[in-house]
Amino acid sequence: MTREEALEIAAAAGAEETIGAPEPEIREGWLALARGSTAFWIGAVIVAIAILFGLVSPNNVFVKADNLLTIGLNASQIMLLAIGMTFLIGAAQLDLSIGFSLILASVLSAKTIVALGGTTEQVARGEYPNLALAVTAGIVVAIGAGAGIGLLNGLLVTRLRLNSFIVTLATSGIAYGVALILTSAANVPFVPDQLQSGFGAAKFLGVIPYPLVVALVVAGFFWWVLRRTRFGLRTLAIGSSREAAIRAGIDVDAHLVKLFVLMGALVGVAAVFDLARNASTNVVGHQSDNLAAIAAVVIGGTSLFGGIASVGGSLLGTLIPVMLGNGLVIMRVEPFYQFVAVGVILILAVYFDQRRRERSS
Amino acid sequence: MTAVPGSEVAIRATGIVKHFGHLEALRGADLVLRPGQILALVGDNGAGKSTLTKIICGALAPDDGELRFWDEPVRVQSTRHAHELGVYTVYQDLALAPDLSVADNLFLGREAIAGGWQGWFGVLERGAMHVETRAALGRLGINVRNLNVPVRNLSGGQRQALAVARAINWATTAVLMDEPTAALGPMQSAIVYETVKAAAARGLAVLVISHDIPRMLSVAHRIAVMRHGRVITELDAGAVKLADVIGLMLGEEVAA
Ligand SMILES: Nc1ncnc2c1ncn2[C@@H]1O[C@H](COP(=O)(O)OP(=O)(O)OP(=O)(O)O)[C@@H](O)[C@H]1O
Ligand SMILES: [Mg+2]
Repeated sequence: MTREEALEIAAAAGAEETIGAPEPEIREGWLALARGSTAFWIGAVIVAIAILFGLVSPNNVFVKADNLLTIGLNASQIMLLAIGMTFLIGAAQLDLSIGFSLILASVLSAKTIVALGGTTEQVARGEYPNLALAVTAGIVVAIGAGAGIGLLNGLLVTRLRLNSFIVTLATSGIAYGVALILTSAANVPFVPDQLQSGFGAAKFLGVIPYPLVVALVVAGFFWWVLRRTRFGLRTLAIGSSREAAIRAGIDVDAHLVKLFVLMGALVGVAAVFDLARNASTNVVGHQSDNLAAIAAVVIGGTSLFGGIASVGGSLLGTLIPVMLGNGLVIMRVEPFYQFVAVGVILILAVYFDQRRRERSS
Repeated sequence: MTAVPGSEVAIRATGIVKHFGHLEALRGADLVLRPGQILALVGDNGAGKSTLTKIICGALAPDDGELRFWDEPVRVQSTRHAHELGVYTVYQDLALAPDLSVADNLFLGREAIAGGWQGWFGVLERGAMHVETRAALGRLGINVRNLNVPVRNLSGGQRQALAVARAINWATTAVLMDEPTAALGPMQSAIVYETVKAAAARGLAVLVISHDIPRMLSVAHRIAVMRHGRVITELDAGAVKLADVIGLMLGEEVAA
């Protein structure tokens, strides 16, 4: 039998296989639709929160442009963290060290800026003769420190074949300890106010807060990387099936190290944001950053099992906790309820993710 | 069927040994793959066929023995290394990434990258990838409507066809196929074997593992029988009888 004959037989027997059967019909009703589409689901939650707080806040201040931009500003740091986390979770990894790495990176950065900015007496008086140099060095140190911790995480995960959950839990403690040792748990004094006036509290065209602009540009870039480049494809391939990625000739270990370094570098950028927004370190804060970033990513439709990830979804996901916190403050309610709400939403998101996986396998 | 002649050897495995803990999966296995030739590797479950294949394609490291590619001794470090040597494999478990699309799976590890500044960022040329995927699957009689569907949504047979298409598409020296038609219906497997013959006719060395021995006798040029971690004999597929092969697999002494 020749190939052509076989094909003929096959065609005659109607055996010609077809890949990509028509999409199953969408069931009627928005509830069914919502269950199918993550973006719709997050969008609905965000709109619901906006409407709710918009209606109940005095003079509807919650939905005024000013307040919405404040929400964006407050979300900008978690956005950076969520972008890196989207790649890691997409590759079926996790990083629990980001919150405390951020503190360590900001401490090292602040100390660099203060040390290079001028003499001890000068900086104590608020004079910084070498401001530009000091800030540049501070940014490099923050990103370098973050990337360094990421490199450590990546090497421990790949070289020692340890689970990233445990590795980053451990390095999280180490980073926190080192930050507290270096500062005796007190914030680094004399961080220049110019960081705040020039960036942290400044607005692009007088409207959009700079940190939000930077976070959105970074997000746009990495959305593109995930969707359009080999790096993004391989990230998801590793998360989908590590074995398949290895067999396809991908250097999985090297790729994972890159992902942890990327996460760390973004932590470094978030650390710079921290200094610029507060004109200070925040060594007792960031306790909930891990939760916020991971929740944002998972709520945004990235699968904890890896292989499916969405930078856009993660961005939307970051808004939910920030909107809750902001709305509760406006309502003069303890903002701490947001953590409870985020925890509940995270469990729901993970549950839906799991259900989706079980249905499709 | 006449064997494709040629003293040239694409891949020669000699004395391959592999332990899994106390289990001796391979105890000095020998195998020769020649360009243009289809070699069927048969043997009972657990005989070591998959393990031997994985060693040749770099997915496992042997404990002992030698591999030669075109008569050069090579220590195959990884599947990537094997790919560089032109050796591609259809694994028994297919090794596809279920969340990635059909086209992305076909190109995984060999992505088509755009030129210019986009090349620097590794921007994928999905248009070209789709065209080639459609063609590669078309050669296996698979008509693709939507190359963006995740592989998770394909039937078992479609996945297997994709894995076969991928290996044949990239191989330049040899294709190793571990039960490539186990999930396929009769028509589809007929097409796969015709494609395999066409690939061999182009000069590829082909190794096929299958439990479908009658089929192997008609498709393959040579047939190698494995038992307990060794290749006990290699015969001309045209000259051997089914009963003899089965007897060899099960350990009966057969007059050659
Ligand atoms: N990763 C592994 N760890 C431990 N033992 C293994 C592993 N892979 C294979 N084995 C064992 O090695 C032996 C040979 O296995 P192999 O998969 O090569 O057999 P096979 O000939 O391909 O069988 P089958 O026809 O069932 O596919 C078996 O006893 C198997 O249980
Ligand atoms: Mg096997």
